[in-house]
Amino acid sequence: MRILPINKARMALLALCCAAASLPAVAAEYLLTVTRPNNLHIVDPAKREVLRTITLPGDGIPGAVAVPKDGKTAYVLTNRMESVVGVDLDTGKPVFRADFSTPQRRVKGFFAIAVSEDGKELYAHQAPVQLGRSEYKVEDTYIAVFDTADGMNAKPRRTFPAPRRITVMAATGKPDHLVALGWDMYLFNTKTGKMEQTFPLRHWNRPGIAEPDTLAMWGTFEQARAVSTPYFVAKTDVPPDSPEAFKAGIAVFDLDAETLKVKEFENATTVMFSSVINPVKRNEAFLVMNQLTKVDTETGQVLKRKELEQTFYTINISGDGKELYVGGALDKVAIYDADTFEKKGEITMPGGADQSIGWMRVVKR
Amino acid sequence: MKPETRKRRRSHLRIAGAVALALGIAGAVPARAATDPGRDVIDKKCASCHLEDGKLTRIPEIRKSPEGWDMTVVRMGIWHKVELTADERRAVVKYLADRQGLAPSESAAFRFLTERRPNMQDAPPDDELAQMCARCHSYGRVALQRRDEDEWRKLMHTHLGQFPSAEYSALGRDRNWWEIARDKMPGRLAGLYPKNTDAWRDWSRAKHRPADGSWVVAGERPGWGPYTGTMTARAKGKDQYEVSYEFRFGAGNTVRGHGEAVIYTGYEWRGSAKLGNEDTRSIFALNEDGSRIDGRWFLKGADEIGATFEAVRADKSAKNALVSVSPSMLRAGDTATVTLAGAGLDPKVDLGPGVEVVEWLGKSAEELKLRVKVAADATSGLRKIAVGGRESDRTVAVYRQIDSVRVEPAFGIARVGGGTNPPVSAQFDAVAFLDGADGKSGTDDDVRLGSVPAKWSTEPFDERAKHDEDLKFAGHMEPHGQFLPSFAGPNPNRRGLNNVGNLSVVATVADGGRSLNAKGQLVVTVQRWNPTPLR
Repeated sequence: MRILPINKARMALLALCCAAASLPAVAAEYLLTVTRPNNLHIVDPAKREVLRTITLPGDGIPGAVAVPKDGKTAYVLTNRMESVVGVDLDTGKPVFRADFSTPQRRVKGFFAIAVSEDGKELYAHQAPVQLGRSEYKVEDTYIAVFDTADGMNAKPRRTFPAPRRITVMAATGKPDHLVALGWDMYLFNTKTGKMEQTFPLRHWNRPGIAEPDTLAMWGTFEQARAVSTPYFVAKTDVPPDSPEAFKAGIAVFDLDAETLKVKEFENATTVMFSSVINPVKRNEAFLVMNQLTKVDTETGQVLKRKELEQTFYTINISGDGKELYVGGALDKVAIYDADTFEKKGEITMPGGADQSIGWMRVVKR
Repeated sequence: MKPETRKRRRSHLRIAGAVALALGIAGAVPARAATDPGRDVIDKKCASCHLEDGKLTRIPEIRKSPEGWDMTVVRMGIWHKVELTADERRAVVKYLADRQGLAPSESAAFRFLTERRPNMQDAPPDDELAQMCARCHSYGRVALQRRDEDEWRKLMHTHLGQFPSAEYSALGRDRNWWEIARDKMPGRLAGLYPKNTDAWRDWSRAKHRPADGSWVVAGERPGWGPYTGTMTARAKGKDQYEVSYEFRFGAGNTVRGHGEAVIYTGYEWRGSAKLGNEDTRSIFALNEDGSRIDGRWFLKGADEIGATFEAVRADKSAKNALVSVSPSMLRAGDTATVTLAGAGLDPKVDLGPGVEVVEWLGKSAEELKLRVKVAADATSGLRKIAVGGRESDRTVAVYRQIDSVRVEPAFGIARVGGGTNPPVSAQFDAVAFLDGADGKSGTDDDVRLGSVPAKWSTEPFDERAKHDEDLKFAGHMEPHGQFLPSFAGPNPNRRGLNNVGNLSVVATVADGGRSLNAKGQLVVTVQRWNPTPLR
């Protein structure tokens, strides 16, 4: 990855590291994270340092981050969830911007943005409201499709209807397929706009099990190509005061196979916000909030748990499955050994800036 | 709504129409220059958006409490950059609350919310309303508004338009929140809280008695105890008063002060006063005939600390209007001094069988002071007090021993403080009870004797609290039953918990040679970041 230096004094050093990074013998991995008010950071997890900070245009606060397979452009939902800004990770320059809202119509996207694997299309789930002079009018939600070549004033090329309250979307391994996680998981054909399949969560109809509560606000699926989220669910076939009455589980959607698997793994006593699947041992899921937890998604066993020194909202993993990255919430990205849960390092955001609800993605270059 | 005759309704409609025209609340902006400064704000500021085809939109379709209107006006500033001076804000809230307020009977059930009483449980009528509305704000905020179905529906659109996370947060995301809000809630809410009611029609047509004059007052401040005193209100403009107070809490603790008050909607008293060295706010209501006031006053910036307040008008028309009896509990076999406060009191008191007046210590129209002898065999329990041959709604209790004590509130909340957010303390009270007819303590028929002095302490509420050492971190209890919480943190010694806690609050009460204990629960929790007048 080529990094443009911020000042001349640092240029030589940075150019050197960029030269090394731009011609890696093996693919190198970088972390992308965002902080308030409106910054995108490229982090080198091997060196335990922030390589570069890119200030995004707009009003902040950055949240969801989507990156195509080539890892060249990062698309960030920002501007109070009303814009997506695409920046070239090599130059730091904005190359794409779609402002959802107009003065008469406020349009929010709740985290759910995704980019096609070839990087040509950007998908955004949108919740619009007409702002009349004297009253508002909430409109139906839909998915807007943008052409990423449309530059800094991009408008949707097309839209298709989608249920409300979708939070995470990802392009699957099949052409024109997009999976969206909301009440259930919906598989859309982005060309026809047709919802081709529903994978039930809320409507799963399992005897003795109520509807699960899912709020997947963080999308980290690039390493194992699996969208995953913790969920919490009541059991209806045990007394309500039984410890078994409320369970924690994990839902895993395989992006290549297009299959959804769910597994309860413990009585719910610990809150977990987000999860990631180990790309090397695909039965292993790691979950985070105040603890780091490793779960076997096949057997439903909790394999390991460790109290963390602070709250982290989001989690990602190295391509070799050896290192876990936890971030979000405050100003740190911490690195843990995926086997021993030993802390291996941490990276503090410039100026101690909050990552807040921002996503943390891995790009390979 | 009560049924009414067609003739009466027609006549009401005519009058309502005339009133509406005169006030411009039908939506038409009057050609004449507005004389009311509040109307002026509507014409000059609100109408820039809320005017279509010469008629006001939205505003005339809603009735609210003064706090409800104020929150609307503040929101218009935050959301739509409507810039109002403090005078303009006061004027428009006054104008709207007077003309489109709630009748006393419509606001009565939620006075605890208006008065900002701490540790009150919200009271939604069912789970659906609790979850659709009261999971984000109090249910009372809903119940203190009146709209028709269309206007309730517009509010739903405003809600999701302005707070789009409503359908993503817990108890919103588990259902089709928007469809329920749009299609079902407006009809339900219009049924419960319609715009047009007999109560409002009658109240808005009636003339209301001004509050000026002398009042005899009484109340109780948890942690300090009961007080009696006087309040004098002098009119200094329409619905505006200068007010002076004298509260006697007991020997050596008389608090004097003065301040101002405004009356909205003919009965909603909102005041500010310096009482002693404390800055206070008062939220009172006059009763329908204007002869009594009740409500609560509290510290500015710490509304959990305050006192109940009752007042009777001390003028010539007052006849044996009793406002307090102190003490409210008399032990059988004892001789005690009893003070009755009120207005127009005749020196003729009946405290029920077995309680005999043995000496008069003071006889004025506003205070009767007497020595009473309670017979050793007097029946235990409450008895109504009669003054001047007229039975009052005040009671005194005769008891032999305190059968049980309760900590009130049974479940209290304190909030850690930090940054721009001051801590919220929790004040507890120990209340003595007699067993009822069932001879058991803690049952519904227990007889409330009143607040009693107590020694206060705290304990871990459960094993978890003990393990986490909540007692050490959450704060400390003052001798008068006020729990002062810790700072918010971060506290590196308590990862993930900082200084929150789950404690038992223990009151130890001495009754003769006996000692009684009672427990309440105190949760010390996180800050509130939006201290709205109506939660």
